Amino acid sequence: MKEQTHEYDVVIVGSGIGGSIVAKTLTQAGKKVLVLEAGLEAGIDFQKKEAFENYMGYLDKFYQTAAKVPNSPYPNLKDAPSPDVIDIEAIEPCKPATNGYLVQAGPIPFGSDAWRGPGGTTMHWLGSTPRMLPNDFKMKTLYDVGVDWPFEYESLKPYYEMAEFEIGVAGSVDEQKGPDVSKDKNYGTDYHFPMKKIPQSYLDEKVIEKFPQGFKVHFNGKAHDLEFVSTPQGRNSIPNPDYPFSDVVWNEEKNKLELQSTKRWNTFTKSYEAVPNNQSTKYTPVGAVWDDHQGHRCEGNASCVPICPVQAKYNALKTLRKSDPRLLTTKTQAVASKVITDEYTGDVIGIEYKRYEDPNSSVFETHIAKGKIYVLAANAIENAKILLASDIANSSDQVGRNLMDHMVMLTWGLLPEKGFPYRGPGSTTNIPTMRDGDFRKEHAACISPIDNWGWGWPKFSPGSDVENAVAAGMFGKELKDHINDVVPRQLLLHFECEQTPEPSNRVTIDPNYLDNLGNYRPVIHYSASDYMKKAFAEYKKVSDQIFEAAGVEDFTEYTTSHPDYAEYEGKIYNFWGAGHIVGTHRMGTSKEESVVNENGQTWDHQNLYLVGCGNMPTLGTSNPTLTMSALAFKTSEAILNQLKD
Amino acid sequence: MSKHTPKELDLFLNISSHLTGFKTIALLGTGMAETYFNTIVAHVNPKTVALFYNACAEILALENETEITEAIKNELIPDGNYAGIGKKIILMWYLGNWENEVISANAYTQGLVWEAAETHPPGAKQPGFDSWRERPIKINC
Repeated sequence: MKEQTHEYDVVIVGSGIGGSIVAKTLTQAGKKVLVLEAGLEAGIDFQKKEAFENYMGYLDKFYQTAAKVPNSPYPNLKDAPSPDVIDIEAIEPCKPATNGYLVQAGPIPFGSDAWRGPGGTTMHWLGSTPRMLPNDFKMKTLYDVGVDWPFEYESLKPYYEMAEFEIGVAGSVDEQKGPDVSKDKNYGTDYHFPMKKIPQSYLDEKVIEKFPQGFKVHFNGKAHDLEFVSTPQGRNSIPNPDYPFSDVVWNEEKNKLELQSTKRWNTFTKSYEAVPNNQSTKYTPVGAVWDDHQGHRCEGNASCVPICPVQAKYNALKTLRKSDPRLLTTKTQAVASKVITDEYTGDVIGIEYKRYEDPNSSVFETHIAKGKIYVLAANAIENAKILLASDIANSSDQVGRNLMDHMVMLTWGLLPEKGFPYRGPGSTTNIPTMRDGDFRKEHAACISPIDNWGWGWPKFSPGSDVENAVAAGMFGKELKDHINDVVPRQLLLHFECEQTPEPSNRVTIDPNYLDNLGNYRPVIHYSASDYMKKAFAEYKKVSDQIFEAAGVEDFTEYTTSHPDYAEYEGKIYNFWGAGHIVGTHRMGTSKEESVVNENGQTWDHQNLYLVGCGNMPTLGTSNPTLTMSALAFKTSEAILNQLKD
Repeated sequence: MSKHTPKELDLFLNISSHLTGFKTIALLGTGMAETYFNTIVAHVNPKTVALFYNACAEILALENETEITEAIKNELIPDGNYAGIGKKIILMWYLGNWENEVISANAYTQGLVWEAAETHPPGAKQPGFDSWRERPIKINC
């Protein structure tokens, strides 16, 4: 075993968005940082030619893979395997499904994936960045469901603004509405997103125009206003001249991170520079990591998941590249296996990691990384797994528990006229109607995006449309006309239901299940509660009302052969994972009930912080990346303050 | 294209046009004709391929479109005829696949399904910022 002689201020595990935000913020504030990354060296090389060639390699793999699932462009390594939706299978009673990296103990399979490699899962995220609602932070108090967060929405607001800067959110604040949303309360009267909204699609327009103002949908026994909102998202658009900020900077006197307008980090000179007064926009879109002049606008590739060919969509490499390279060391092909603590003080004294040369060989060298402070930013499943493997931070017995995801019930049909899907970003409009209300006492809330990519998700369209038509004997003009009639009329709605924290939905470890390097494979226990199933039933009715009013012919079909199905009051519903892996090391107000405090610091080890969606006590109805990024800024600030002491 | 007999490649293109509903000029425009022609040669035994092209020649020699369509339906579409080459040709042109495997990166991006669906292959031939707000622009119809 090789102990490192050099000591860093902070050792970070993982180069996804959480780890990258911490690395960037700390190095720009003058701290020495080591990032351990399990994935391949090539993915983190920021030299122009190397970065471009590696990324084009991802794109080529995407082109050449038949099943274009979220992880399809990216390497899946034996020494650092990734959970993949392609491995999901039905689970027989008492017999875990071990097809992929995750050991699925059931009763139903966890339906989401992640990528373990440079940039993490932001490489294939969609990029939707709605904020959580103020009421989401008080679920126990308001609805007697789940738990409250250790702070209210207001406390997170300044960090949300930092996250929206860092990700580069395009959106219209004025257009945000729905239950528990008002511009003043949620954003502030003068707030703007860094970039103007991503245009809503022609398909969105065709759907929205079918509903007169005041149209109501009925669920849980009440009528609710059906509304449509442009979705804020992390992809480059036209910079908003009204947005005043140029960077997030550590203010040493005030002990705070601040969004400010006078200076900004220059990636080339590796230092701060003054923002010219005559510059009409303070915000500059961040382009591709290989060439900052590419990707300043979304170009409509319609492939955000799994890969944006021009990197107009945000990914964490953009943030990591802004780290001060003089203070940042990255070690790739370095898989964190154990956190080592001092027996008496409980302080972390090192992180053990296994370094491999060949990602498919079981040969490795063990090293120990040392710093003053340690940050686990692997992902919610990996963070929990590493803590369990180390047998630390768990005096609450909450490590690994409360695993959550948005359970996405999909409904699909054919519009009466062409909406021309398979164009533009994956979703540009959402229905906020079911995001909050008294009904949350009885069933889950949801956000309901309109999907711009037809029936691709549930039916593998349009490939399957061609295959089915050809199998039925269609050819020639008849086939071409059929595809031209059907595919452009496809409509898909998501009902992304907020899963509540359940202690039995959890990540565990088992010495019978190890990976190629002898590290634990996560064992997942997962189920859908009645609170979720009732939501599926209510939202299927909402979908029926929307389809009927819009003249949409319903083709939704739920079966028991779909691995994630639920039965409620005699009817079958299917749902899919949203890729929102949340809640395995939740934050709270006491060490008895939570793993970390409001800053992500573990209650049991003063120099160990956890970053990522695992910290979230509840999920809300928002895609969680923005919220976890806000929390990562909050954690960065706390670490900078702790390093001062 | 010199290493293959022009006659068979011509047959392949002409029958492909009838099978896919796209004009031969559109098929040539994908740049994939030779690749797909060779994909058949690589995967199906030569005798079957020869019989298939003989059948194609006879069908294409028929008097009118109705007769050709009817003959394709009876002779080339049934799964049991000529190792199912007829349907496989359609799937190659539309999806760039041979038996569910992507033939090449170009085969994916040149798939005809995207044009039939009035869009572009995801991740390629991007139509530009804001394009999705409007109806798709038709160039060649």
